[in-house]
Amino acid sequence: MSLELVCPAGTPSALRAAVEAGAHSVYCGFRDETNARNFPGLNFSPDEMIEGVRFAHAHGAKVLVAINTFAKAGAMDAWKAALANAEKAGADAVILADLAVLDHAATHHPNLRLHLSVQAAAATPEAIAFYADTFGVKRVVMPRVLSVEEIAKLNAAIDVETEAFVFGGLCPMTEGRCSLSSYATGKSPNLTGVCSPPEHVAYSEDKNGTATRLNGFTIDRFGAGEQAGYPTLCKGRFMAGGKTSYLFEDPVSLNAASLIAAFAKAGITALKIEGRQRGKGYVTEVVRTFRAAVDAIDAGSTEVEVGRLLAGLVEGGRQTSGAYKKAWR
Amino acid sequence: MAEHFRGELPRLLRILAAPAGFLPLGPALTLAVRRFAHRKPAVFDRLGEYGKCSFLIEPSDLDFSFLMVPDGVRAEVKCMRGRTSQPADVTVRAPLLVLLGLLDGTLDGDAMFFNRAISVSGRTDALVALRNAIEDAELTPADFVGATGGLGKLVDRSVIGGLGLARRFTGSPISGEPS
Ligand code: SF4
Repeated sequence: MSLELVCPAGTPSALRAAVEAGAHSVYCGFRDETNARNFPGLNFSPDEMIEGVRFAHAHGAKVLVAINTFAKAGAMDAWKAALANAEKAGADAVILADLAVLDHAATHHPNLRLHLSVQAAAATPEAIAFYADTFGVKRVVMPRVLSVEEIAKLNAAIDVETEAFVFGGLCPMTEGRCSLSSYATGKSPNLTGVCSPPEHVAYSEDKNGTATRLNGFTIDRFGAGEQAGYPTLCKGRFMAGGKTSYLFEDPVSLNAASLIAAFAKAGITALKIEGRQRGKGYVTEVVRTFRAAVDAIDAGSTEVEVGRLLAGLVEGGRQTSGAYKKAWR
Repeated sequence: MAEHFRGELPRLLRILAAPAGFLPLGPALTLAVRRFAHRKPAVFDRLGEYGKCSFLIEPSDLDFSFLMVPDGVRAEVKCMRGRTSQPADVTVRAPLLVLLGLLDGTLDGDAMFFNRAISVSGRTDALVALRNAIEDAELTPADFVGATGGLGKLVDRSVIGGLGLARRFTGSPISGEPS
């Protein structure tokens, strides 16, 4: 069976762009803290979601709704409403991470297909079996800390589908367990749906270039003409041991296009492109390129060259195959 | 001679564009944005409270700038000659063709930022909201002049074609390729 290409949409127009560029599925979220891309001006109202699903279905594509943050204890209404609105819109699946949200979905929305978000960081057969047996989860998004060999072994030991990130921004920490943003700003992707919330980010220019500050902490400084990255702490430059460097990770972007054939061989069902915060230009170009790559692999090619085509769209202007090839760790 | 950056208008075009600073661009753009807000209020809902923020937009290759408060049907756009010290919540600076590419969605804002084709300062949350609202608005050149139907299509075709040519001519980024 061919690989399913799961593509990002932060707005209704990006959804249409993704579908028209060849996405098999599109993932998107509501305009609140229930999804892990809760940026100002982004995401869908319940009515826009209904219209988005209608458009996607009319073009033969699916819509997966991300409700993938962790619900606040005693204040789950937003997550319950998101599940109800996703079902009402006719979503093909919901992508969840939190146990309480999974439980509510399994109990009150038994017809919704459940996918486990990367935020749940389920990376062992035991953890995945727990989610599958307890809530009926049908697909698990693989944490980006596994190699292709590890995913192949995992697939042999589980009987749910797996989805792996193939392109886009990269969290070098295990998803769902990173507290860097909460430490600096009090807000995190896990609870509020944003890493480095923009209201805490400030850029200032002086003769030495551009300084990036997160809630008052200077986390990087770019010289004129030097490639920039996202204002996240994991990609900041800090001084330690007398020298300044990227302590956690360089501002690089994931591009595992060269591994598409290996992913198919490892038993992966779907390939995911990151970037719900990106515009239509990015969505169109990346989706079209990857759809051609997936079709080429389907038709028997063994390798595709995607890196050069998309070089200008990526963070820091550089790309990596991440943990999929062991050398990265 | 002024330094010429990739994607900026050549000197001759800058000189030709200079009189535009004297035209009543501000009132015309104010009218266009308000008309657009009447037609597509959802775009301004997406902007929410950030509609009340002020955005100073400086085409780096021209000697005038725009101050915009995109508050739906109460929107205001002022056009000012020279560089201004006018306080604004957000300042965005880029070559004119890059700014137009961001407006019509041809160019990706993040890619332009990574490649340093644009520089920004001020309230990042307001800028992110504006950029996402513009992204979803699917603006076309006809929206700015209020043209609809066949005339709208003609305006779009000519302006988009013209911009494509201008980008190739000046070496402006066409998609996200590194500058
Ligand atoms: S700081 Fe980096 S690793 Fe942590 S959540 Fe943010 S992007 Fe991911």
